[in-house]
Amino acid sequence: MWKFTVRRILIMIPQIFLLSILIFLMAQAMPGDALSGLIDPNLDPKEIAKMREKLGLNDEWYAQYIDWIKGAIQGDLGESFRFKMPVSELIEQRLINTFWLSVVTLIITYLIAIPLGITSGRFNDTWADRIITGYTYIGFATPVFIFALVMLWIFGFHYGWFPTTGSVKPGLEPGTFDYIVSKIYHMLLPAISLALITTVNTVQYLRSEIIDTKQRDFIITARAKGAPESRVYNRHILRNSLLPIAAFFGFEITGLIGGTIFVEQIFGYPGMGQLFYESILLRDYSVVTSVVLLFGIASILGALISDVILSLVDPRIRIK
Amino acid sequence: MRKLSFTKALFALMLVLLLALAACSKETEGEKPKDSGSTDTEATDDSGEEEEADDGLYSIEDFSPDTTNEGEAIEGGTLNFGLVSDTAFEGTLNWNFYGGDPDAQILNWFDESLIQFDKDYVMSNEGAATYEVSEDGRTFTFTIKDNVNWHDGEPVTAEDWLFAHEVIGDPDYDGPRYGSDFTNIEGMEEYHAGKADTISGIEVVDDKTLKITYKEATPSLLTGSVWTYPLAKHIFKDIPVAEMSASPEVREHPIGFGPFKVESIVPGESVVMTKNEDYWQGEPALDKVVVQVINPNTVVQAIETGKVDLVDSFPTDQYPENADLSNVEYLGMIDLSYSYIGFKLGTWDKENNVVKPNPDAKMGNKKLRQAMWHAVDNEQVGKKFYHGLRWNATTLIPPSHPVYHDETNPGREYDPEKAKQLLDEAGYKDTNGDGLREDPDGEELVINFASMSGGDTAEPLAKYYIQAWEQVGLKVQLLDGRLQEFNTFYERVGNGGNDDPAVDVYAGAWGVGYDVNPAGLYGHDAMFNFARYESEKNTELLEAGVSEAAFDVEKRQEIYNEWQEFMVEEVPVFPTLYRSLLVPVNNRVQNYSLSVDYNGRYKIAVTQEEPMVAE
Repeated sequence: MWKFTVRRILIMIPQIFLLSILIFLMAQAMPGDALSGLIDPNLDPKEIAKMREKLGLNDEWYAQYIDWIKGAIQGDLGESFRFKMPVSELIEQRLINTFWLSVVTLIITYLIAIPLGITSGRFNDTWADRIITGYTYIGFATPVFIFALVMLWIFGFHYGWFPTTGSVKPGLEPGTFDYIVSKIYHMLLPAISLALITTVNTVQYLRSEIIDTKQRDFIITARAKGAPESRVYNRHILRNSLLPIAAFFGFEITGLIGGTIFVEQIFGYPGMGQLFYESILLRDYSVVTSVVLLFGIASILGALISDVILSLVDPRIRIK
Repeated sequence: MRKLSFTKALFALMLVLLLALAACSKETEGEKPKDSGSTDTEATDDSGEEEEADDGLYSIEDFSPDTTNEGEAIEGGTLNFGLVSDTAFEGTLNWNFYGGDPDAQILNWFDESLIQFDKDYVMSNEGAATYEVSEDGRTFTFTIKDNVNWHDGEPVTAEDWLFAHEVIGDPDYDGPRYGSDFTNIEGMEEYHAGKADTISGIEVVDDKTLKITYKEATPSLLTGSVWTYPLAKHIFKDIPVAEMSASPEVREHPIGFGPFKVESIVPGESVVMTKNEDYWQGEPALDKVVVQVINPNTVVQAIETGKVDLVDSFPTDQYPENADLSNVEYLGMIDLSYSYIGFKLGTWDKENNVVKPNPDAKMGNKKLRQAMWHAVDNEQVGKKFYHGLRWNATTLIPPSHPVYHDETNPGREYDPEKAKQLLDEAGYKDTNGDGLREDPDGEELVINFASMSGGDTAEPLAKYYIQAWEQVGLKVQLLDGRLQEFNTFYERVGNGGNDDPAVDVYAGAWGVGYDVNPAGLYGHDAMFNFARYESEKNTELLEAGVSEAAFDVEKRQEIYNEWQEFMVEEVPVFPTLYRSLLVPVNNRVQNYSLSVDYNGRYKIAVTQEEPMVAE
């Protein structure tokens, strides 16, 4: 088990390294830089040119990359041009928001997915199943950014049940009870919007797993031995069907990253997704590269978690 | 097993349906911008039923920049200010360091300029400091009023003002401010280069009096070239200049001397401010101001439901649909900007930092450029695309500057016949019978038009111009067959000095500063002179406009009228549309204004505790 995990982590290192080079090259290929948006006759182009020189934007890409990777290894991700603060500090600020948003989203995702998946799998080809699969197909087809906007409009503005912007009510003291409640309250609507869409994968997965397991020989054996139906489902089928879901968990994290970019944008929720989007728009390279790297690491870690969970629950994978 | 295969079949069917659906949605996405031109006209017809605008058109003249102030104000209250932005605000909350507009919107509430400006964008003596100019126009003596104090109770002093200059002039300074405004101060360049320890041109006469001597006297000094924001020396003196902009004194507990004090900041999303009882103009009427970032997609809903009382900006194209919201009043004024179409006439000489005109440029023929202006009907563009909230532009100084905008100059009106005639005269004739004109040498003429993406109207607008030029027989095509993204667009047009030779014509827009001086956009040494146009007379006029003689307003008017006329004749660029600025304000808000000379935020009051909600 340990050997497997260590080996997996060792593979990760070149992966991340390669990723960082790719990211850097892509960022360089984008037209414009952090200073090219400063199109204002009140600013002196000569000063801008000087600043560009000072920031090292005129250097060759590999020189810039070496500078950057040297810092990154030491935990210094550079300075955000736009925010005028260290990128690591900026990311820390935003990461907390996104982290909690993702946690809440994941919880809601599973809260929805498990009962729906079980119902749909156990009673397949009944009306309940058709309704649930119908929902999953709609979920597959609906883009998150449209859905989130609609949710915001209905529950945020029309009914006014949820706050419509920000991550917390302005003016509350951090750390107080009110502050935490307000944070959760602000998180709910974006998390629900995102969860309702991302959950459809898991519902489908669980459903087909259950249907598949139902036909297995050992279930027939269990039934033949006279086990009651509830025991057959809860002990034998459900347990076996949940295993791949647990393995899927890691990939769920990767999927969330894509979702948060839109949702944070729409809900004005300052997290990593929003930071990523606006940094691209404004060519704040040091932030873009750092955020993408972090997203990349999160995805690779997600895959790692999946593999580890899978190897825990399925011994066949360990023996390679 | 039969069941399973049924599910499979169902799934496959669904998949097919899904693909079909996805294909459909892609199609509609692609189609949308194309016919939004016609949807715009439909919207015009619909809104024709409204009482304010019978023809579905609006005019900026019907808007006032001030609130009407109906009803009785209550004491105290909280105002919710919406910062419309799809990005978080940076949080560099100090005038001396800030870079982005969102930060400026927050700064306006708790800090202000020592000098205020009057309706004509000239420095006035209404602000926290007064000024006097010496005979030769080079030395300014500023006196800060006695009761002007920082939020922590310390007085704002001349020393603070000098300190701001020293920090911006410091070689370690990382903000965007240092430039010609500063190098015009005597001794500044020496200080910047590290050759002098002090700035010789700035003298602290006493605690409240500051004297600044400039190298050249220009009327621009009176309209915004003077740096009027002090920096609290008692707070910043121990922080190294390079670290100032990232310091907690800027980001976490910023200080100013404006009507409100910052109480708490949630980075990137909101700021709560409370009133500054010690404010120099008097105690503010409101207790609190909450500034919150709202996404442009939801701004209309936020206003409709009273989540915010007012916003910093409002998308003008949303106005016609929301013109009759019952809970708000729209304030409006002529925006300090204009849209234009430019012709590439040369390149940028990077070594000498001057424009390098190319006498053989494709667009080098004056008559061709004049004809292209005559060929487009900007009055109709304003009506069809912007419901009259943008309108035909005539000269390169917009009417937001009524003193210098030449109203009597009609520009070049829509006249396709005249355009054709001009083209004929210049030798652009159809020689091969394809309905399109060839250039005077008989070569095929294809003009590349660069236009920026963004907004629903970008594409139909570009298409309109291309069609209008085709009507007079010119073959114009969209550069690369598509719209250009903002950064790419400006890079290719010439920002940075690497002009793309593929661009012949481009459509852009400029914001105009308080100072009308167009030299920063059309001077021979201006990087932003993307047209790369230069002529002796142009340089002469632009220099005359900022000369000592131009201190006389009438003389300056004369010079700029001549320059506007000259530009109409030469057409290196031609203005297309002037713009209006609209801002909705909740009916409960009083004493707010968009005017330039407005400095009455401390007087803003509300008539009821809660914002009004649209019925």
